[in-house]
Amino acid sequence: MKDCGQFQDKFTDLVNNQLSDADKQSVEMHLAGCADCRQELADMWKLWDMMGEIETPEPSAHLKVKFNAMLETYKESQQNAGLLARVREQFGRLWQLQPRWPLSYSVVVMLLCLAVGYWFIRPARISDQDKQLAALTTQVHELKQTMALALMENPSASERIRGVSYTSEMKHADKEVIDALLATLNNDPNVNVRLSTLDALTHLASHPEVREGLIRSIVTQESPLMQSAIADVMLKLQEKASVKSFKELLKQKNLDSGVRDKIQQTITQLI
Amino acid sequence: MLRVKAGDLDRMGLLFERYNRQLYGFLFHMTYDKEASEDMAQHVFYKMLKYRYTFTGDGEFVAWMYQIARNTIKDMAKKNKNKLYQYDVEDIADKIGGGTLADEYLEKKQAKAELHRAMAKLSDDHREILTMSRFQEMKYQEIGAILNISEGAVKVRVHRAMQELKDIYKRVEQ
Repeated sequence: MKDCGQFQDKFTDLVNNQLSDADKQSVEMHLAGCADCRQELADMWKLWDMMGEIETPEPSAHLKVKFNAMLETYKESQQNAGLLARVREQFGRLWQLQPRWPLSYSVVVMLLCLAVGYWFIRPARISDQDKQLAALTTQVHELKQTMALALMENPSASERIRGVSYTSEMKHADKEVIDALLATLNNDPNVNVRLSTLDALTHLASHPEVREGLIRSIVTQESPLMQSAIADVMLKLQEKASVKSFKELLKQKNLDSGVRDKIQQTITQLI
Repeated sequence: MLRVKAGDLDRMGLLFERYNRQLYGFLFHMTYDKEASEDMAQHVFYKMLKYRYTFTGDGEFVAWMYQIARNTIKDMAKKNKNKLYQYDVEDIADKIGGGTLADEYLEKKQAKAELHRAMAKLSDDHREILTMSRFQEMKYQEIGAILNISEGAVKVRVHRAMQELKDIYKRVEQ
């Protein structure tokens, strides 16, 4: 019969008891007059019934024991983990609401606020730090100067040398220090102190008063050691203004002959 | 389940009592492995506890449970290199068999074993839907909710599964 396929399609639903009453009736009417289909349906029922005989095993008692143990452990872990787990769970629940976009939006806003805040606060803080640092540096500088000045008054020559050497560490010296150094240079009884003072003053040669003082000091120096040392310094600084003082020095009769040669050489090099 | 979600974890015990056999049966027919099925059943209940907040209450609890169970099966299949069961198809009939060896039952038993073999040879999709409709006696509508397909689609799939089973069974029988 030509409609057989159409009915046979429904056999599955029939054995499955999922066919509407109307469909059932029409299938039964067809079956009454079609032996092929009756056979087909019988096969289907046979298969279906046989499937029904396949036993589904029962879970063993083990499963329940294991489940109860698991439930207890889980409950305990819930309680023990306490805050952390709850927070994480709350977060997970939050995630469940799919707030990804709002959340990321607020994170971005938060970061922006942080950045803005940072830029506002940072310059102020840094300038504050700078001020403190500058104040500290000044204090240290002043302390060093005071110490250097105090040491230069010391009766011990080695202490005076130490005081002088402190000043060579300074980049900017005030007038007070320069004056003290120049006074030491001209009046200190010890040659070694005077030499190291000359050394210290060479470092401060960028100050015009230091240069002037050095030139003035050329005539006052009596030690041949100091005279040739000053000549070296002048040559190094290329100080042409010193030529006049050197020429004056040459007029001195008791000038050391070695120093005299050196000064003449210096003058020719400077000119 | 909504009460479990709200924090009343003891209620999970009740759900276990009510559904563990059904769940175990489903897992067994999908894997033919008693031990693995028990492990998976346990795992499904654990997942339901852990992810209880994903239960929206929109659908049936059973549908939700089956969805988790199906994912668990898939995970296991992945672990076992896409093989749902580790035994040879031929061995399965012997494993499931049992019962008496009396002569009058022998023929019937053999036929049953052949059907087992045929079932084991079915594609996973078809074995799944026949398990649900035949062994678990679920309505098409319930199955549709679990598989997330329409009732009509369930009907078609059940029909195709029965045809496939019939064909395989005939071949096994010969």
